[in-house]
Amino acid sequence: MSARDTILSRLRETLRQPHLPFPPAHSDPLTHAERMTVTHAEGDPWTLAERFAQELTAVKGSCELLETETEARLSIISRLQLWVEEEQAARKTAEAERAGDYDVLSWPLEQLRIESLPLILKELGFKLIEPTDLHDPQQRERIRPIRAGITTVEAAFASTGSFVVGGRGANARAASLTPFRHLVVIPFSKLYATGEEWLAQMRHAGRLDDYLRQSRNLSIITGPSKSADIEGNLTMGVHGPKVVHAILFDDLQQ
Amino acid sequence: MQVDFNAPYKNRVQQALADPNLRVAVSNATDRMTDARLASMDAVEGQKLRSQVRQMKQHVLRNWPDYLQQLESNLTRNGCTVHWAEETEDAQNIVREIALQNSAKLVVKSKSMATEEIHLNQALEEVGLRVVETDLGEYIIQLADEPPSHIVAPVIHKRLEEIAEVFQDKLDMPPTREPTKMTSLARARLRQEFFAAGMGISGCNFAIAETGAICIVTNEGNGRMVSSMPRVYVVVMGIEKLVPTVEDAFLQLQALCRSATGQNLTVYCSMTSGPRQDGDVDGPEQVHVVLLDNGRSRMLARGYGEALLCIRCGACLNACPVYQEIGGHAYGSTYNGPIGAVITPALAPEISRFKELPHATSLCGACREACPVKIDLPRLLLDLRSDLVQENASPKPEAWGIKSYASLMSSRRMYESLGKMASIGSNLYAGMSGGNIKFMPPPLNGWTAYRDFAPFVPKSFRQWWKERSKLRGQT
Repeated sequence: MSARDTILSRLRETLRQPHLPFPPAHSDPLTHAERMTVTHAEGDPWTLAERFAQELTAVKGSCELLETETEARLSIISRLQLWVEEEQAARKTAEAERAGDYDVLSWPLEQLRIESLPLILKELGFKLIEPTDLHDPQQRERIRPIRAGITTVEAAFASTGSFVVGGRGANARAASLTPFRHLVVIPFSKLYATGEEWLAQMRHAGRLDDYLRQSRNLSIITGPSKSADIEGNLTMGVHGPKVVHAILFDDLQQ
Repeated sequence: MQVDFNAPYKNRVQQALADPNLRVAVSNATDRMTDARLASMDAVEGQKLRSQVRQMKQHVLRNWPDYLQQLESNLTRNGCTVHWAEETEDAQNIVREIALQNSAKLVVKSKSMATEEIHLNQALEEVGLRVVETDLGEYIIQLADEPPSHIVAPVIHKRLEEIAEVFQDKLDMPPTREPTKMTSLARARLRQEFFAAGMGISGCNFAIAETGAICIVTNEGNGRMVSSMPRVYVVVMGIEKLVPTVEDAFLQLQALCRSATGQNLTVYCSMTSGPRQDGDVDGPEQVHVVLLDNGRSRMLARGYGEALLCIRCGACLNACPVYQEIGGHAYGSTYNGPIGAVITPALAPEISRFKELPHATSLCGACREACPVKIDLPRLLLDLRSDLVQENASPKPEAWGIKSYASLMSSRRMYESLGKMASIGSNLYAGMSGGNIKFMPPPLNGWTAYRDFAPFVPKSFRQWWKERSKLRGQT
């Protein structure tokens, strides 16, 4: 008998015993109707965006709330420029500028539907690096020193200041993971009150199962990487980004 | 001072108690985590959350084989390879085989109690692989050549100065007491390992049966690295780590984070549903899931199934006055604290192998109050003690003592005569040594080694009551 069959038959046999102390014979499942929402949030999109900002800030992230796509575009550009300046200032050498300072590990930014954003960034000297195969040693080495990453999200949850990034197709997992700074752009249309609400809507639309399978990898991210392993001292940026900055913009008015 | 794992239990406890650093470090950290848990659970409907997670997990256990088969079938459909391991050696062999088949030389690992349980690092190192722990705490104790001492905070027993020494000795770091600098060095060193590793290994916080997804939870991001960067990703999961649906997973995730560290959510919860497909930029080419029994089915059959509800948050360790005093290493087992004192003997082929552990508790019930799935740990500890007696595994003098006590208590005449004798004897002896008894022969010297023993009262209560009633009758 295979290990699988041995384990399964052992479990079945045990569970058939009439006087087994645990689990009780009648152990009802937790239904969708009775399952609670743990952390609540509610309100119109702006209220939810404010709550998102409050929660993300509480876990050491930062956030901007913007009214239009144009403002979001400006803000993305200025944030990336600011980060380049900060990196150069931190180096404290006469020749602070380094090849690669303007490299940004990126998802295809067309997904953002922010008009001309990739073009303007390129004109300003930024190189949007969109790898195609990160098992290729050359591409791997190429992304290694990159200090900034930019992505959008699959969804974001106001109640906890969390966002979900997927890992399939051209959307590299690395863009939200390996750089020191992560710029995450969240249109209001992707913002939900809670994680529970997002899952309920996906299930109701009949998309949840396929979506999860096809995603291969989904990560729920709540703030920058951190640890308190050294005697409770909070340190940021252990393996993932030390800086997580979210730009939320209202795309629902359009 | 490091606890000697080969020493007998009592010696390990004494070594731990004699280490002031350990007691300060553990006590500070557990107090901090307990406060965070209480605040976090109070901020939501904490009791309801605990009840719902328990109900969900209980239902899974009642239908355990069905959910396991559903998980297996969905993982396979998603392109993962599923392996089943009955015992430690089976799991070790499976993972070794995967590594050898893929010519992996370097393995990066995300913190996992299941792999600690099967001593996977040693098994892989025996066949020439280099294994690097990547959780900061695990990395530190790997450098110090120690096992973890807490389920979620592996280096909880070390103070800042001790950790700084490890960085100096093992990584040639210039002397510093700055945690930020130590973390930066660890980030740089481990980043090289992530990029070079041929295989990543993690445990599993929960697996979703309905869709076939493996979820791991970290604050540092090493779990995402391990499951994304190497070509081969291996998950070692205890077969009880199951939830039916993604909604159940999200519920349990929140109970876990709030109970473990007091966070609403940890920084990263990463769900892997399968290997990389054509057109994907990154992700592992192979995903292997090792379903590990290693005594879990035995545990259910022995009647300790309730402990299989455990979601490994460590809240019971933080709440336990015994753990707070002695830390994790004194238990001498992979799992420690109240839950460790239950599952270590319950998982073992013979309960008696860990006969001291069910006694490593004050039975105060703080663990039960802290547990996010309301496991009745004190009752399970008492059940284990009872099973040990049934197995004749309790120490001979203790068994003899209990038997004598039982016969003494069941005979009034014997009880009264012995009481009289003890009163006369103890008062005589105390009189000779200045009012209190300062020394008693073994095994009673365990008491007098640290404190005096007061003599028995000259008159028993019964005698006093009789005399009092007589006097009252006269007046």
